[in-house]
Amino acid sequence: MAFNQLLAMVEAIFSAHEEELDCEGCDQEMPHLVEIIEAGEDPTLLLPAVQEHLNHCRDCREEFEALLVIVRAEDQGVLNQNGNGTGGS
Amino acid sequence: MQTKYRNRLAFARLAVYRTIPPKEMSLRICVVQFMHVEALLRVYLMTERTNEQWVADLTADHTVEQAEALEDLRLRLQRGIFYYLRRERSDLSSRSHTNLQQMAEDFTQEATLRIIKNIHSFRGDSRFTTWATKVAVRVAISELRRARYRDFSLEEVTADGEMMPDLNVLFPAGQPTGPERSAEQSEVLEKIRAAIQNALTERQRTALEAVGLRGVPLEIVAEQMNTNRNALYKLLHDARVKLRAALEQEGISVSYIHDLFR
Ligand SMILES: [Zn+2]
Repeated sequence: MAFNQLLAMVEAIFSAHEEELDCEGCDQEMPHLVEIIEAGEDPTLLLPAVQEHLNHCRDCREEFEALLVIVRAEDQGVLNQNGNGTGGS
Repeated sequence: MQTKYRNRLAFARLAVYRTIPPKEMSLRICVVQFMHVEALLRVYLMTERTNEQWVADLTADHTVEQAEALEDLRLRLQRGIFYYLRRERSDLSSRSHTNLQQMAEDFTQEATLRIIKNIHSFRGDSRFTTWATKVAVRVAISELRRARYRDFSLEEVTADGEMMPDLNVLFPAGQPTGPERSAEQSEVLEKIRAAIQNALTERQRTALEAVGLRGVPLEIVAEQMNTNRNALYKLLHDARVKLRAALEQEGISVSYIHDLFR
């Protein structure tokens, strides 16, 4: 185990709170959170519990980041109608 | 826009156009221009269903509306998932375009079934399409995880029963730490090791090692521990809370560890 992993684990331990949002709760809030971020609002103010869960849960974070990428591409019109969305390659 | 409406609109426009006598050239041109603007506005403003329309159309069994909504949803999810697979997944970069399209198609099909089944859990606090995309993302990423960890065995990973590292492992030979500091480091590592050993259950230790130290997805570990991801998260959360209390009692903090091992 590398030092960084040790430190990451220690940080995860010390940022533990009694009450935390679980994966199901996070899953429900995710679409809303993505739209808040897309609208340029500060998510740490509006949905701090979701943000906190994302810091602790790699699975949810991976899904959240993927959702953000796709919604952003849709909003910016990057994805064309024939389903390529390759940005012109 | 849905094909049915596009055709009706075209007929309606033609009908209006024909009511103007051919000799009124300027009026005809004016009307055509107006129709053009109106068509553009429609494309920009009215192609999207409202949330209510999505839910109503998708649940209107055996209707044209449902078939059209399903097709629109399928196209949209598929292009989003394909974009993600192609642009964001470096682990899939060796796959062909056709192969990725096929994957996106399969994930979308599964996601569509799940969306229809769970449509009543859509709360309306986001656009329907964002919610639906989230379902599709979850299907896609779950499947990719499963494929990647197909040969993974939790027992193998946690077999050695030795979770905490030796100082020699943490700092490979020749790190400039004085003997005093090195003794203090060993002592702290020993305290963390003891806390993990004494404060946690066997299941918590296994989960912590696999997820926290080895970076295995919760979903995969949960499956092998015969539980689900949500329950595993709670188990890990409980473990963190217990470890925090145990370490705080020992006077250990993040900044202390940071300084000691820097
Ligand atoms: Zn989670």
